[in-house]
Parts: sequence; C-alpha cells; structure tokens
Amino acid sequence: MVNRIRRRTILKTAAAGAALGMFAPFKRAIAANDLVWMTWENLAKDEYLAAFLEKSDVSITKNFIGTDDEQFAKLRAGGASSVDLITPGLDKVEFYVASNLLQPIDFDKVPNAALLYDTFKNTDLGKKDGKTYGVPFYWGINPIVYRADLMDSEPDWSVFFEGDKYAGKLAMRDYALEGIMIAAMYLGIPRDRMFHMDDAELAEVKKALKAQKKLLRTYWNSIGDLTNLFATGEIVCAFSWVPPYYDLRARGLNMGMAKPKAGVIGWCDTIAVPASVEGEMRDVVFDFVNYLLGPEYGEKLAFGGPYAQSTSAIRDKLPEEQREKIFIQDLSIMDSFVWKENPPRYNDWVALWNEVKAS
Amino acid sequence: MERSYLGTWLALPVVGAVTALCIAPLAILLVYSFFQVNFVFILKDPTLENYARLAASDTYRNLITKAFVSGGLVAAITAVIGHPIAYHIAKRVTHYKSALLILLLVPLYTGDLVRIFAWRVLLGAEGVLNSFLIWAGVITEPIGALLFSSLATHIVLTYNFLPFMVLGLWLAYESLDDRLVEAASDLGAGRVSSFLRITFPLTLPGLIAGGMMVFVMVVGDYLTPQLVGGVSGITIVSAINDLFGTAFDWPLGSAIAWTMLAILCLFFTLAALVISRSTWGRALMGGE
Repeated sequence: MVNRIRRRTILKTAAAGAALGMFAPFKRAIAANDLVWMTWENLAKDEYLAAFLEKSDVSITKNFIGTDDEQFAKLRAGGASSVDLITPGLDKVEFYVASNLLQPIDFDKVPNAALLYDTFKNTDLGKKDGKTYGVPFYWGINPIVYRADLMDSEPDWSVFFEGDKYAGKLAMRDYALEGIMIAAMYLGIPRDRMFHMDDAELAEVKKALKAQKKLLRTYWNSIGDLTNLFATGEIVCAFSWVPPYYDLRARGLNMGMAKPKAGVIGWCDTIAVPASVEGEMRDVVFDFVNYLLGPEYGEKLAFGGPYAQSTSAIRDKLPEEQREKIFIQDLSIMDSFVWKENPPRYNDWVALWNEVKAS
Repeated sequence: MERSYLGTWLALPVVGAVTALCIAPLAILLVYSFFQVNFVFILKDPTLENYARLAASDTYRNLITKAFVSGGLVAAITAVIGHPIAYHIAKRVTHYKSALLILLLVPLYTGDLVRIFAWRVLLGAEGVLNSFLIWAGVITEPIGALLFSSLATHIVLTYNFLPFMVLGLWLAYESLDDRLVEAASDLGAGRVSSFLRITFPLTLPGLIAGGMMVFVMVVGDYLTPQLVGGVSGITIVSAINDLFGTAFDWPLGSAIAWTMLAILCLFFTLAALVISRSTWGRALMGGE
C-alpha cells in the first residue's frame, strides 16, 4: 500500500494549523493571572513572594536573567510581549526607553513608591520627560572583598594597579563599565568627568588597565565562581559583590570588605513595565510592583539577600546590625557612592576593555 | 504522476527547516553586518564600515588568528593522542570494545562545566597536582601557571574534544583492511614506513573528519578559556558576545562573525582542493 500525499490533504492540514494559530493571542488572555517576571534568581525566591501570592489569585512565572545586557537583548529582539515585568539596572533604563520598550510607572497604583529614599526620588536616571520608566527597587555597593588572613592591611583600589606583593592573587570582574570606572577612580578622574572621559583620559585608563592585567590571576564572570576562587586560595583580593564576604565568613574564613575612600561603586536595579502590558494584567503588575516596594518583601530581602530596598518601608523595623549590614543605618553614605551611569561612548569603553584583555 | 512528486513533498519540511533554522539566521546576520549602530538604534544605510573597522583593529585580527592557531594546535594534539587510542580500540580489543567506547564518551555526558571544574580541582593552587608535587618535595610553592593560563586552556580543550577525534579515527581504523598492512610488512616495510604509506593515508578520512570537528569546536569555544584561561581567556567568540550583549553593537558583531565563517569556509575549501589534487586524495575519492 502506498500512502500518497495529496496537495489537498496538505492544504487542509495547513489550513487547520493556521486556524489553531489564530487562537495563540488568547493564550496570554487565558493566562491573565499569570505574571511573567524577568529578573535575577536571588530576587524571586518563593518565600519572598509568598505573602503576595497568598493575598491574590495571581501566579508568577520567573524568567531568570544572567546579565542586564542579556535582558535588554531579549526584549530588543522582540521578547517584550511575552514578559509583564522586568528588572533593568537604573543606568540601563534609558536603553529601554529609547527603544520604546517601556511604559511610564503609574504611581497612583504604587503608593509604596512615596517611601523611596531621596537619592532615588531625585535621580534623573530611569526618567524621561518627567515620567519614571524604571522605579528604583533595590540597591547596594560593589566593594573590594579580601582574605583578611592573607593580607597585611585593608586594601584600596591601588592594590589592583601598583606593586607586586599580591601579583597573581587578584581578580577583577570581566565587565567594561566597572573595570574602567575603577581605573578612573584610581587615577583620580573627577566623578563628573568619569562617564564623559575624552581620548587622552581613556588612554590613561587603558595604560593603567594594562598594568593591572599583569597583576591579575583572572577576570571573574559569576559571583559563584569568585566565591570559589577565594575559598580555594586562588586569589586573596578582588573587586567583588557583597555576597562572597558573608558566604565565606559563614564558612569560617576571615574575610574583609573594603570601601576605598576614592569611591565605591553603587548600583541600583529598577522594576519596569513593558509597553505591551495592558488591561487587567497592568493592574496586577502595578499591584505586584507595590508589593516589591513594601515592607513584607523588604524584610525578606534585608535578611535573605542581604540587600536594601529602595524604600524606607521596613527600615525602622530592622535591627541596627542589619541596617548596618545593608548600608541604611546612616543614609548619608549613599552620597559617597559613585552610582553607575551609562557613558555616551560606551562602545569605545567596551572596545578599550577588549583591547586590554587581548593585549 | 502523483508518486513522482512524493520525494519533493517529503523533502519540503527538511528544506524548510534548513532554510528557516540555518540559512535565514545567517542571511540576517550578513545583512546586519552592513548596518551601523547609534546608541540603541540600528542605522540601516548599507556600509562596509564594520569590515573596515575589523581590518584596522589589531585586537580583533589577533583574536581571530589566536582562535585558528588554537584550533589547529588542539586538532594536532588530539590527532597524535587519538591515533594509538583509536588503533587499540579498533584492532586490539574484541570483547571490551563497546565498554571502551562508552568509557571514551562518558566524560561527554557530564557537561562542559563539570569537566572544566574537575580540571580546576586538579590544576589549582591547592589542587591535586600541586598538592602532590609539594608532598613529594618536587616543589615548595604551587605552580601558578598550571591553572588560569594558556597552558591550562589547551590541556582542557584537548581533553574535552579528544573523543571526537578518536571516534573519527576509530571508524577509519575499523574499515582498514589488515591484509594491506600485512602485505606491506611481508614486502619489507618497517612499522614507520607501513604506517606512513598504508595506515595513515587510509585512515586520513577519519583524521580529516575528526580534525574538522575538533577544529571548529575549539574555535567556537569560549567557556573553557574564560574559566581556566585566566587573563589570557579572551577569545574572538567572547568578544563577539560582548559586542552583541554589552555594547549592543550587533552590526560589528555580525561582521566579525561572518568574517570568521568566511575564513572557515575558505580554509575548508582550500583543504578540500589540496586533498583532491593530491595522489592519495584522488585515490580516496576516485578509488584509483
């Protein structure tokens, strides 16, 4: 028996497929109560979200990101319609706004936003034409973390550029923006010029970074890997995020955290709503945004992260020790941070960073 | 009449899949390579600017050269190691052949990251090898260059991709007629002569197949150099990744990607030409 494929049969099958395809838009409508949140894994732990989920009939689908750039690339490549809430860095929001990917935050639906710290209320980042597109969500610093048992004294940025005492025992994050910011701070380039450096200043930075490369053991790409490098004795000091400091202290290592006087890099992530979110889901999303800025989530984040929320919703209820830990005991410390911005010549920065690494 | 179209209809999904999944993305990448970027906007006025930037950049040219040198080096090392292993599995083992082949493939089941971290445990400052050497009194301080170096990268790359070379060579050895080697021996050829004049030419298709696989995979690998290469860990692929992700310079990233692809195609075309014009190449392909 020969199974013949007839043109009419194929046309019928194609027509049936097309008819089924017409129902695709309804898939999102049916799942109106399923909120898709593109975010970092450490922000969406079940226990953090439990209080919100108990009070509403909403489910949350977590879509984890590895880097901010990856998040932008996904949305820019057409993924915005499949996501209801994203978590861009405060310095990156302008990318999304320029690409028409976001809608303004409806503050009427987010009363907890009134509790934002002044630093975040007053920043120009995340805003355009008086409207806020990315509301500051949580923040922290990226300090120097070091093995206090293996270093003589608390280091500053110069440890990555001068001397050879710790040569081959240092690590730097493989990220152009922060790598170049640190070199600029070491060279004493003023903060108001840091993100607008001219060719001569960038040449100085490049020279410093080439000197730095000779002292490094490696560039790190994930915080888990960096923690591993400390634990296995491969490095004694690194430009780091905060978690390895607490993780390794908990494991019994004598770790130190240094905040150089020349400046410490401050970061802040925002929550932002894609332009395509509308109707019932829009209300659900802003309700969730309000929860993320509120006390229940803030408490979980303060102890679980430990990270600080951008609002004062839980601040006064936290023990002093915890407030110290997440840098909100004395809020004036925020003024000493160098907050990340997006340099206008960022492509040149990335090219410079790659030149240094390839040298 | 309808039966004559059966093959065409059946081929349509395959042609469609290849077009949609392989040719179309490459074509889009090629088109993008002639665009420009300004902030987050792609300017669609065709230009050769990206190719000019690439040609003028020592960094990208050196990284491309480094990728091809690494590919060739690892392919050569795996070929030298792979030949005796493949010979042994194909010609010396009968009962445990399947077991040996599975053993060869087992590391591949564990995933890249697991293998890379296993090597870090072996080669690290407090790793197995350094600890042993210190214990044995051979060294007093750990050898730092064992890990986070170009040496470490090439050791791990060789380990990772050796199975692909062995598989190619093993298939070639399986189809090698032992009587030819015996005849060469009977006619007075020594082992080296017999290998160079009989075994090597007849297993060459396996070497080429395995070599091409290893070469392409090494050129495209950026995880291994990144995790064990230390400050020398940058590759042309990680640079492309930076351009697409961090810098949002899709056009320049596309231009570099297409240049890599073009060089690879040229490389393989030249190799095919050289092989087809050689005596043994004609013998292989034409059965002369």
